[in-house]
Amino acid sequence: MTRICPPSLTAFPDGLTASLPIAMGYFPIAFSFGVAATRAGFSAGEAFALSLIIYAGASQFLALALLTSGAPVLISAFTLIAMNLRHVLYGPALMRAAGNEASTRRAWIWAFGLTDEVFGQALGALARGQPFSEPYMFGLGLGAYASWLAGTAAGAIAGGGALDGWPAVNAGLGFMLPALFLALLLSILTRAAVPVIAVAGLATVAGTLAISATSGILLGMVAGAITGVLRR
Amino acid sequence: MNWDLLAVALLAGVANWAFRVLPTMARTDRLAPGGRLERFLAATGPAAIATLFVASVLPAVTIDVAGLLPFAIGTLAVCAVWVARRSVVGATLAGAVLHGVSVWALG
Repeated sequence: MTRICPPSLTAFPDGLTASLPIAMGYFPIAFSFGVAATRAGFSAGEAFALSLIIYAGASQFLALALLTSGAPVLISAFTLIAMNLRHVLYGPALMRAAGNEASTRRAWIWAFGLTDEVFGQALGALARGQPFSEPYMFGLGLGAYASWLAGTAAGAIAGGGALDGWPAVNAGLGFMLPALFLALLLSILTRAAVPVIAVAGLATVAGTLAISATSGILLGMVAGAITGVLRR
Repeated sequence: MNWDLLAVALLAGVANWAFRVLPTMARTDRLAPGGRLERFLAATGPAAIATLFVASVLPAVTIDVAGLLPFAIGTLAVCAVWVARRSVVGATLAGAVLHGVSVWALG
């Protein structure tokens, strides 16, 4: 599959627009992180620095737990690094779908934004026939990153309980990411992908219930990908 | 500034950058066209999205039984809008809105 990227002035704004559901889903999660960080005794600046530098939700929450429990710096860092190892697969999987002609000249900047959700959204766009474009990837990643940083700052400044009076809004925002993943799953659904999806889902449930949520995610991805290798 | 926090953030952040950027720039997907690596990478996308969906809904369906109905309504809304409009953004927003409205309606 080869798609050459046509020069397009709308690619960057298109990417920003596509980041909207991710940004709306990220904001409350990052908000919660900002609240949790200040409750754990860190300053708003320190909470913001964690989001700015690490930019990986689950491992940021884990960083708070490790740092407040007094875990050594290297142990904490390697735990977080192990947690994000799955991201190694995203770039190659995305570029395979983008085709051989797709440019990665500016990937040193936009690929930092390849979070779980950005990867899923980009892959879904390619599956729907949209050509790969670095400005689109930059817009998509920037919208999500900006929302993550803004949410962290707002949460750290507002403190706890800001959304407690708005349970329906809180619930709707909390459902944003599951809804996005489901929509993306529907957008890439093919007969050939069904066994991969089924095995990945079952392995995730088994791994999460038997070990931990992080292990479940890693196990699900690897089990699904191996299913794809075994099917001809 | 807490220097332990900064050191952990920098180590984890640099590793994150390397995990996301280096395999992308190295185009490791070109290493074995048609081979097992290519099939592995092709399956990684659907597997990752399925995994992330299951991981994101598991807490809702295993911890909060009272949240099952809003969850079901939100899920049906996503599916219905996707079938009708083939829009990821529209389906996502519809699912979130109906989930929030059902939480409000059910008290």
